[in-house]
Amino acid sequence: MDFLADVIQDAVDFLTGSGGELGEVVLLTLVVAGLATTIGVAVGVPFGVWLGLTEARGKALIWTLVNVGMGIPPVLVGLFVLLLLWSDGPLGSLNILFTPLAMVIVQVFLAMPIAAGVTAGAVASLSPDAREQLDALHLPPVRRTGVVVREVWPGVAAAVAAAFGRVVSEVGAVLIVGGNILGETRVLTTAIVQETRQARFGAALALGIVLLVIAFAVNGTLTWLQFRERGVG
Amino acid sequence: MAERRFEDLRWPNDDPIVDIPELSVELGERLIVFGPNGAGKTTLLRLIAAIEGEGGTPYASYLPQRPYLFRGTCRANLYLGLGTDARGKAEDLADRLGVGDRLDDQARTLSGGERMRLSLARTLSVDTPLVLLDEPLAPLDLRDRESVAAVIVDALDGRTAMIVTHDRDTAAMLGDRLAIMIDGKILQLGPVAEVLATPTDDTVAEIVGVSNVIDGNVVGRHGALVEIEWGAHRFFALGDHAPGTPVKVLFGGEAVGVHKSLLGESSPRNLFPGVVSEVRETGRLAEVVIDCGSPVVALITPGSLDTLDLAPGSDVHVSVKATAARAVAVGEAE
Repeated sequence: MDFLADVIQDAVDFLTGSGGELGEVVLLTLVVAGLATTIGVAVGVPFGVWLGLTEARGKALIWTLVNVGMGIPPVLVGLFVLLLLWSDGPLGSLNILFTPLAMVIVQVFLAMPIAAGVTAGAVASLSPDAREQLDALHLPPVRRTGVVVREVWPGVAAAVAAAFGRVVSEVGAVLIVGGNILGETRVLTTAIVQETRQARFGAALALGIVLLVIAFAVNGTLTWLQFRERGVG
Repeated sequence: MAERRFEDLRWPNDDPIVDIPELSVELGERLIVFGPNGAGKTTLLRLIAAIEGEGGTPYASYLPQRPYLFRGTCRANLYLGLGTDARGKAEDLADRLGVGDRLDDQARTLSGGERMRLSLARTLSVDTPLVLLDEPLAPLDLRDRESVAAVIVDALDGRTAMIVTHDRDTAAMLGDRLAIMIDGKILQLGPVAEVLATPTDDTVAEIVGVSNVIDGNVVGRHGALVEIEWGAHRFFALGDHAPGTPVKVLFGGEAVGVHKSLLGESSPRNLFPGVVSEVRETGRLAEVVIDCGSPVVALITPGSLDTLDLAPGSDVHVSVKATAARAVAVGEAE
């Protein structure tokens, strides 16, 4: 028990005394995960709306690809992006490997399929009457997508929460393309790995608590929005 | 007369629900598509609305049979797809259709009839040359149908409309011409009164029945009946319309009695002299067309036909039970 008590004491000390370094890591985590989620949702949700409504041939194949994308191991995505951005790779001239931008790019690929898949699932449950009405209205695509997103809003909020949850908690891909460079590409998850490897469990636990608080705040907000939209009755 | 022609209305290609090689709609007319459940009426409208298949037009405003209101207020739903210039018209129509005071309520709180009224207001406000309405009066109470029909006709304002229904009153109130649709095909098409009175074959007769539709103006009210000026005659029918109202009166061929001599004391209110112009034996029953100034069709058994010895040229009297005839206001702009 002494061990756990010491770890917890260390965690509290870390949280109260670490100052700027922790702040930098938290800020970078929020910026990278926030940007990646925003881009992933901006592309994934409209795509999910289209996928949920389409009667096109080959839609089963697209559903399958999206489902595979939802479950693809992040390290694998990290490896693909690393190969693309490597100095001798096709996009090596961009010179963005081991930068926050590379981390955003890799996380967009993780967020997009989740946003699309969860949204498409919600849209697919729309009643035939709702689909018929949508067709009858002949709305322009952007307006049509807006109406559908509003109609299945709780499902879209779940998609946003799931996408953010995936990228903020992910470690393999950002480690591969970011490199966990202190002050440059270190985020909460890679920092936890770093501290744990060095047996600084108190610091690792403290970072874990911060990560939990962020996840709780984001999901709490989305859930509140979900329920507010549902209303009473 | 100018017309809009649709060709190859066929869907799906294998074992089609609708298979109409060609359909012409006269510009400015209200064409009723009438038929039993499963005839393909809704699919026909979806084809013409270009939701299904090819050969339709995107320049149609389409009201589905079960209009759906999305999350949000009634006003947001009313404005959906409307340009800012059409919103005033939509609100005005919502008022006239009795849902103007519900616009700030959540759409999910509306009843089935109110949903239809709100959706009608939106559909009729879209400025398209063709309007497609699928069973627009079906979810409404019987007593409200005439007033809503009048608003529909007024809001169409001379635009072409195709209206699906399986209700004869709706057909008479809203239609100029009537297309009988059975098993995906149009079996008969013509003016409403003509098609209802003279089905071209047994299939149509069995499904549509034989009905008479006469036009006239209300000249008086007598309890549950209205007195209608019909040519040189006075016709009594169920109704509560104010004097001066133009109405159509619907009654089935089975409600028409044919008599060789004048009746005794129990003579009905509606008794008119006429001359048999045509006798059609179309199966188990015979249709006798009698010219009473306008044609009236009677449905009688072959036995009666023999007993009465009816043939073209026979002088007869025609009786119609007033309680078997119903007056509906004609859907014309006030």
